[in-house]
Amino acid sequence: MTDPNEPLPDFSDVQGGSSSTAPKPQERTYTVVKGDSLSKIAKTLLGSAGKWKVIYEANKDIIKNPDLIYPGQVLRIPQV
Amino acid sequence: MRHHFLHRAAAAAAVLSVVAAGCKKAPPPPPAAPPPAPVTVASVDLGKQLGPDTRVVQAMTTFGVRDTIYASVATTGSATSAVLTAMWTFQTGQKVDSTATTIAPTGPAQTEFHIVKASPWPKGKYKVAIWLDGQVAGEKEFEVK
Repeated sequence: MTDPNEPLPDFSDVQGGSSSTAPKPQERTYTVVKGDSLSKIAKTLLGSAGKWKVIYEANKDIIKNPDLIYPGQVLRIPQV
Repeated sequence: MRHHFLHRAAAAAAVLSVVAAGCKKAPPPPPAAPPPAPVTVASVDLGKQLGPDTRVVQAMTTFGVRDTIYASVATTGSATSAVLTAMWTFQTGQKVDSTATTIAPTGPAQTEFHIVKASPWPKGKYKVAIWLDGQVAGEKEFEVK
């Protein structure tokens, strides 16, 4: 029986990971041109502007601010 | 004269063979390959040690407070992209960890998920749910003693 007054255990120091024998899907790349935004690229390549976050998450190492991308940047486009 | 006859016979034979070839029925096209089977989760096993094939060395459901806990997920089928997620929860429903990985299997495959905690695991019951493309595809309960 769990005591409702008992503090919840702390799982903040848990680290998870994974690996697989299956190959990873092939990623496309896209070179940013003038006038592009993540949502515009997402709509063109992933079919929905709302999927901009998928591109952002896959490129966090080179995109510091999702509202600022620059012509010439090469973005990884994951398969969704 | 004999030469002429031989030439004519050869020419006639050639024409006949061309005509015969023209009448031959084209072989039927090979049957279309069946569509590849979609990815499904075949089994989920828990353990505290992995073998080189990404399977747990010994399946178990009870762990110690210092153990690394592995969930080895066997899948069958193929896909150009499938998202496997392991959602680990404590007995209270509290989320312990969630890890997702995208795979493109071409047949049977093994995917392992693991959790490790710097401080000892709270004793109690836990559950790992394996999601495949947004649907629960397998679950396993375990206990930390």
